[in-house]
Order: sequence, then C-alpha cells, then structure tokens
Amino acid sequence: MAVPLQNFIVAALIDDQRVDGRRPFDSRRLNIKFSREDGSAEVQLGQTLVMCAVSGQLVQPFPDRPNEGSLSVFTEFSPMADSTFEPGRQGENAVELGRVIDRGLRESRAVDTESLCVLAGKAVWSLRVDICILDNGGNLIDAASIAALAALLSFRRPECSTGGEDGQEIVIHPPEVREPLPLILHHLPIAVTFAFFGDGDLVVMDPSYKEELVMKGRLTVTMNVHGDICAVQKGGGVGVSSGEIMRCLRIASTKVADVTSSLKKAAEAHETERAFRKVKRHNTVSGIELRTVEVLGTIKADIEMRDAILDRAVKPKVELTDSEDSSSEDSDDSDSEDEVLGLGRAVKQEDAHSVLSVEAIFQGGASNWDEDTKPRAAASSELPLGRNPGKADTKSSAKSLDGKPASLIDAVKKNRKRKKTKKRTSKQS
Amino acid sequence: MEMETRDNDVKRSSGQLESSPYINKIVAPGDIVLDLGQLSIPTLRLGGGLRQDQDLVIATKAGRLKFIKPNKVWVEGSQKRYIPSLDDVVIGLVVDRRSESFTVDIGGPVYASLSIFLFEGATRRNIPNLQAGSVLYMRVVKAHRDMTPEVSCVDAMGKASGFGQLKDGFVFQCSTGLARALLSRPTCPVLEALGKGLSFEIAVGVNGRVWVNGDSVSTIILVSNAIMNAEFLSAAQQQLMVQKLLQRVQ
Repeated sequence: MAVPLQNFIVAALIDDQRVDGRRPFDSRRLNIKFSREDGSAEVQLGQTLVMCAVSGQLVQPFPDRPNEGSLSVFTEFSPMADSTFEPGRQGENAVELGRVIDRGLRESRAVDTESLCVLAGKAVWSLRVDICILDNGGNLIDAASIAALAALLSFRRPECSTGGEDGQEIVIHPPEVREPLPLILHHLPIAVTFAFFGDGDLVVMDPSYKEELVMKGRLTVTMNVHGDICAVQKGGGVGVSSGEIMRCLRIASTKVADVTSSLKKAAEAHETERAFRKVKRHNTVSGIELRTVEVLGTIKADIEMRDAILDRAVKPKVELTDSEDSSSEDSDDSDSEDEVLGLGRAVKQEDAHSVLSVEAIFQGGASNWDEDTKPRAAASSELPLGRNPGKADTKSSAKSLDGKPASLIDAVKKNRKRKKTKKRTSKQS
Repeated sequence: MEMETRDNDVKRSSGQLESSPYINKIVAPGDIVLDLGQLSIPTLRLGGGLRQDQDLVIATKAGRLKFIKPNKVWVEGSQKRYIPSLDDVVIGLVVDRRSESFTVDIGGPVYASLSIFLFEGATRRNIPNLQAGSVLYMRVVKAHRDMTPEVSCVDAMGKASGFGQLKDGFVFQCSTGLARALLSRPTCPVLEALGKGLSFEIAVGVNGRVWVNGDSVSTIILVSNAIMNAEFLSAAQQQLMVQKLLQRVQ
C-alpha cells in the first residue's frame, strides 16, 4: 500500500471527501441483473461484481427438524477477481463473507424453511446458495448479500406432491406440467457496511477497494426494511462508540429501504419478462405420462432436479413401444430403485433401444426375404425389455462398435486368463 | 561519405518497415510480424509485445503494431497487467529494502530491483532514505523474460531528469492503454481540458499507474476521476465531461 495514497485517503476524509468523488454516506451505483435461468443473479456495485446461484436438492431432513428444509451458503473467490485470492483455498475473508451472509439469511428466518418440506422426515428441499466473486472493487459483503437475495427471489423449485397407496411416494412435476413454485421469503435482510478510519471518528458507507486497504475497522449491519436488525458484524481493531453505532444503524435503515425498493423493482421486471417468455414458448412435449419415483425408507433419491425432469421427458417415447414392461417394472420395488441410481445411463440406453425397436417395425423388403431375420430382429427388440434392459443393450452395442465377432473377443479373454494363471503358477513355483 | 551511406541505410530500412503490411494493424499473439531475413535493416529496436526468434519477429500480445522512425517497433494494446520492457517509464512502490537494492513493485509479474546507486548523486555513504510504500518514478533498464527486471531513477547521463520519489499526491491504477494515451502527443484531450481550468502535477507510468498532485484535495480527486472516466470517451466527450466537472466545482 502506497504511503501517499494512505495519507491522501485520510486527508480527504477529514475534508468530508472520498477519493472516488462520493460523500461519506453515498454508496456506489447498484445494478441487479437476473439471468435467463431461474435462481441466478449478478449484482454490480460500482466496480464490484458478484454472481449468485441458488439450487435445490431433495434430501432427507435433519432428525431434529423433520419438517424443515435447509439453506446453506457457499462462497468462491475467483483469482480473476483479485490477485490476492488463492484458487482452491478459502481465505479468511471468504469464510467471513459466507458466514455473514449465512447469518443474515438463516438466523433471521428470511426463507420459510417449513414450506420446503415435501414429506415429513423423508424428503425436504435443501437449498444451496453459491456466491461467486467475479470482480473485487471493495465491499463484497453488501454486493453478495444483495446478490443472494436476488437469486433467492428468482429461484423456482418444481412442485412436488405425494401419492401412492400409502402416500409415501413423491411425484416431481416437471415445469411443463405444473408451474414451478417460488420460495417464500418473509423479509429481505440487506447488509450495509461502514468503514472506520483514524481513531474511529471518520466513517464512510460502502467502502471501495482502496478504502478497504486503509480502513481501521468495519461494521456490517444486516437489516430489513421494517428496521429489524438481523445481524451485526464488527471487524478490524479500532473501537467504535455506541453513539457512532446508533448513527450507523439509522443511516443503514434508510439505505436498506432504497436497496429493497430497487431489488423488488428488478425482481418484478424479471418476473414480467419471464411471463412474456413463457407465452412465446411452444410446448413440444405433449401427453407426458407421469411416473412416480418410489422413495424408500432411506432416501437415495438424491436426485438432481434436472436429471429427473430429463428422465421424464425422454421416457414417454420409450413407453409407447413397451408399455407392458414398464408397468411391470413399476410394480417391482428393487428395479425402480436401480433406475433411480443409474438415471443418466438408463435414459441413454432406453433411447437407443427405442431406435432399435423402430427399426424392427419398419423392416425393409430387401432384408425381409430371409425368413431367419424376422424372428431374430424381433428377439433383439425384446431382449432389452427384461429385468435389466441396460446390460443386454450395452453388450449388443459393444459388439457392433468393435466390429469383431463375439468369438474373437472370447478368445482374447481366454488368452488373458491363461496368462494370468501362468503368472500365478510361476509365482507359486 | 560514410555518413551519407549510413543515412541512406536508415532511410531505406525505415521505408521498408513502413511498408510492412502489419504496421498500424491489429496483431494477435503468435503472429509473425516481420521476417528480418527478407529485410535489410541494420538495427531494429523491439519494444513491448514483440519477441525475436532467429530471423522472425513474433507478437506476444494482442494490440496494434506501432512504428516510429527510424527503427522502433512495438505492440500497443490495453491490458490490466503490465509486462516490463526496456526504456519504459513506470511508477512503482518500494516493497522492501535490502543492502544493495530496493525491491520495487512495478505492477509486473515479478517485483523489479532498483540499485541504490541508480539515484542522482548516490554513493555508498549517501543512500536515499526510502521506506516501504514510497512511490517512485523510474525507467526500466533491464527487462528480460527470465530475469528480474531492473529499474533506475536516473537517465542515461546519470541525471535525475524528473525521475525519483513522488511525495504526497494520489496514485491510481488504470489500463496500459489509457496510460499510453495520456503520454501521447498531441496532449490527450482530457488533460488538455483539465489543464485549462486547474493547476496540478501529473506523472504517468506506462505500467498503468498515474500519480496526481495538486493544491487542494478536491482538485486531485476531480483530476483523477476525470482521467479514470476518460478511457472509453471520444475527444469531444472528454472535453464535455471535464467542462461539466469544472462547473460543478466552481
């Protein structure tokens, strides 16, 4: 830190001026941008740029709170934002930032966690708030807190309902069928940071990067628009009088009102844009047959939402050709569990299979003259429909890919075995 | 007679360089800019952003290839990061003080070293008293990509000629492109306009550091913010912006 710069910043503050031309209690321009995807927002506060993404997962709830979802905050400080940030290692300020945001959101109960419960004791939504610092221009806490709120405001989770005979099955409705639900936010806790200089008698709001290098102390107040103080964090060594803190709280409450209104305005604009987009969207998937995912006692259904939706979107195609078999699969508990675990693979294979069966239906004349081909083709289309369709299919595809006859592969395998046994024998001897 | 032929040589070589297809064009890292085998140039001075590989001159950064008569060629781009090159004037911070040299941060990938003898009138008994955090105006005297850069606070004649410590004032960082624009001739419009209304001192390093000093705090703040805002404005816009700022102050 350059000595002249240090002296100048303090000298300017004594003069009630700041190096970027602001007054002590002015904050920089705030710009909130929502991405096309739900649950993601980018906040620019002067030079500072922070991105936040919220994602949800169905998990088993904590045993002491069986009907409450959870919320956790993760931070990532990209080395692109500031050369002092180390990749892959959380620095001191990364941890502090995460905890201040976490405290503001969780302990003030801003997000209604009880509404995140799907099946008490079995499945609740676990929200993950990922904060990524893209450019460090100072005052990361305020920018990150606004980004987190903006992302939470725009987050949508798919609607879930319980079904089945015992009411223990969970149905996740894809967004095409039922509109995804927004989170319930009781209030918006917004962080406002003050920096102290000299002996704690010089105060500024929303410190810039340079001011953060010089400042002696920092006070972050997390407040909502009703004037409720949700959290206070004091950092740095300099002591601050209670009168000074009360002054900061008063200033923060007016600032919070400004930020809340602009946040709400931005969220509303995003919402109308979203509605417009939906009007234009053509629904290509028609006549989806919903299938329930069996949730067993211990929930292994750690399903990424999207995978589940993808699965459902692909499946109906297959079911047109082999509806009998899939229904039998449904009734079989162990099978459907298998399916849940190996979602991605199952989808691909079934897709390939549906192509196969289409071929079987539209057999050309030329290949049909041989009587042998017909039953063989039919057999190949029926083969994968058994208890484990995946395995049979991968084998056949492997054969066709290698272009080698099975006998050759077998011969190679046998050779290998022989070698192994030889080695063993040599060791023994 | 000898002088005449040398003059002719220089003229011919600068003519050859001027007619090179890459001069004043945008180049990208890896572009082969000049093939010295095909040109008859006695000496060629390569500036920042260029590398010589036997007969080939290759660009190492993106920017516009610039040429100044008789034989200077360099790539001018706008970057946040500075790569030291010979004869650049830079502003740096003293980071550490050692027995024979100072370690100086000039914004490059590694710290530069400044010998204690490279000050005007410096001897072993008369070592300049610089603390960590002091701001210096220097020039780069050694820049090699595998070695620590070396800087100096004297010109080639051993005189200070403006180099040395910058006391007080305000230092800020801008892109290397803006720093080049501020140093260019004719004077950058924003400096021209500011100079008409205010009196201030300014030092610009091509590493993107700018030092401003003036009579009052408000002058320094105004000048530095006007310069930082000027980067993406046209000449007319820069003048307009400065006029508005000056009106607000007066």
